[in-house]
Amino acid sequence: MNMLLAIPLVVPLLGAAVTLLLRGVPRAQQIVGALTLSVVIVDAALLLARTADGTVVTTQAGAWAAPLGITLVADPMAALLLLVSSVVLLIVLLYAIGQDIGGLSRATPQVFHPTYLVLTAGVCLSFIAGDLFNLFVGFEIMLTASYALITQAPTRARVRASMIYTVVSLTSSILFLTGIALVYALTGTVNMADIAEKLGAAPPELRMVLALLFFVVFGIKAAIVPMHFWLPDSYPVALTRISAIFAALLTKVAVYAIIRTQTLLFFRDDISDVLLWVAIATMVVGILGALVQDDVNRVMSFALVSHIGFMIFGLGVGTAAGLAGAVFYLVHHIIVQATLFLVNGLMRQYVGHTSLRAIRGLTTVSPALALFFFLPALSLAGLPPMSGFVAKVALFEAGFAEGSPLVLAGIVAGLLTSLLTLIAVFRIWTRAFWGTPLPDMVEAKERLRNGANLGGLRFMTTMTGVMVAVGLFVAVAAGPLASIGFTAAEGLVNGDAYIEAVLGEGAR
Amino acid sequence: MALEGSGAPRPRATAGGSSAGPPEGWEAPRERWLSTVVRPAFGPRSVLLEVAARLLIPAILTLSVFLLVSGHDRPGGGFAGGLVASMAYVLRYIAGGRHELAAGLPMRPNTLLALGMIVACGAAGVPLLFGRPILDTVKWEFTLPVFGDVKLLSALIFETGVFLIVVGLVLSVVAALGARMEAEEAEARQERAAEQARAARRRGGEKA
Repeated sequence: MNMLLAIPLVVPLLGAAVTLLLRGVPRAQQIVGALTLSVVIVDAALLLARTADGTVVTTQAGAWAAPLGITLVADPMAALLLLVSSVVLLIVLLYAIGQDIGGLSRATPQVFHPTYLVLTAGVCLSFIAGDLFNLFVGFEIMLTASYALITQAPTRARVRASMIYTVVSLTSSILFLTGIALVYALTGTVNMADIAEKLGAAPPELRMVLALLFFVVFGIKAAIVPMHFWLPDSYPVALTRISAIFAALLTKVAVYAIIRTQTLLFFRDDISDVLLWVAIATMVVGILGALVQDDVNRVMSFALVSHIGFMIFGLGVGTAAGLAGAVFYLVHHIIVQATLFLVNGLMRQYVGHTSLRAIRGLTTVSPALALFFFLPALSLAGLPPMSGFVAKVALFEAGFAEGSPLVLAGIVAGLLTSLLTLIAVFRIWTRAFWGTPLPDMVEAKERLRNGANLGGLRFMTTMTGVMVAVGLFVAVAAGPLASIGFTAAEGLVNGDAYIEAVLGEGAR
Repeated sequence: MALEGSGAPRPRATAGGSSAGPPEGWEAPRERWLSTVVRPAFGPRSVLLEVAARLLIPAILTLSVFLLVSGHDRPGGGFAGGLVASMAYVLRYIAGGRHELAAGLPMRPNTLLALGMIVACGAAGVPLLFGRPILDTVKWEFTLPVFGDVKLLSALIFETGVFLIVVGLVLSVVAALGARMEAEEAEARQERAAEQARAARRRGGEKA
């Protein structure tokens, strides 16, 4: 157990150090990066195998007992997300490697590889942190790396976007730290299991304030309406590999933190009405934003905001079924969003930009690209038999079972959002993929076909295909995944197993 | 050095023509306070700062090692020690400029950072190989002739890694935000001067 829980943290950091030493030897950096992430994947798979039946595994760093020391915890939800994230991280890294081999990117490899692995360590730590302060540390590791990544290959637009991104993230971090200080003042501990025990004695009003404060903190990072404005301004301008990872993981880590804190710490305080209102607003505002954008990346960024609403909706429903839906939606959305951003990156390779005004007939230029866009786009809109359909059905079923008016309103908003998502992706489809290609696009294709970087491009396309295949696999394996999701959700609704695993037997 | 306006009677002009030069037969000391030809990071050169840097840097570095070693159960530790040690280098940079900083560094800041990370991760991870939790610590106690009873913890290795990381990080910030910009500025200055010289030559050519 010690080993399994430590590896996702130690190995990426070690890999980052080695890639930093290997600056100037890009090939070695690529190999070290890919190996590191493979180790994390294997480790996460073993963790998931260990926890799939609802077991919660822990390790106490330095053998210091729980409420005092640093505890690393993996429950089914953390292990599942760890596995999905590491798979996505590896595929995006391979995509980036293909791009570098083909000489198709202006990223600086000696900065990219170490920073990317540090980001991996931050993401992993956020998932397995057992106390609030280490959750904060995990977030900071992840964000600090992301500040460096977002300005890779700096242009005026990227520096401007990174300013917005950094300021917003720092604001949220300050609030996070304030929240931790308040919780510590109230309970005298930062260990989440211990807080869950001790918060019961605190005045309900204070608990409510803290619950809302933490919701705002992570809400900013998850880009929930009305705190979403920074995301469509910053993600689309970064390099493809960066925006793919940001869109897939960074917001989802924040959603994970929302689910973790609201279920484990603040389960007594019903802010589910707030959650449902916010979820409805997020879904509708996000997708309306997506409908009026003219740039594929910006459409996808607004769709990302919109679909965060579904996960918050699952949390707002509050039952085990709702949470299981939210967990499944997380998994589905991480993969689909990464795929769509990778496809946008390929589009940028072929056309040089992603503005819908000057793209026609991509289907003729690259049939594979069209297929790779079509499948995840359908999944995003939630058409059967894709994973998005399964996830949405799970959420709506949970909602119907709950049946309160606000939840029903949420279901209506969800259905409307799905429909509008379909319109948004078909808008891209009809404008960018149909029709006869513009003359300069044909020229660009010929240039690519005859260029020396064809191998790199093929590799990138293959990796995008692999990501699409992973998305399809989620739909195929929906049964087992849903059962893991259910186990995870039951662990979330009833925190006893988690608390006992961290604090030892007889804690409750 | 002339003390302008100090009220002292000005020395009579010598044959050399310099009224402010050192007295005849005086030889400038050959040893320098800092190791490179000094071009300070900001403002005019300050002898006081150079001397202070020369005297303080060994003391600061010693203090940083003291903080590192004593940090286990008293104030200090790798982070504090690393910050103090990097202050020694920052002082050296302020007093002597970027060449002075480069002369004082055994390796690139990035390499230092990477080594620190390897040491820290290694120290955190080695207990795993013995089936112990991450970051677990082993303690050795023994008696040394001069120091008396010594308590040594394997956590010190981890702290050393942290120390190196902090020094590497501060130095890369100094290198990126200070030395690099300074170098670019010097380059721009040279270019401007060359440009002016060319312009002057052109004007001269026109006149001729």
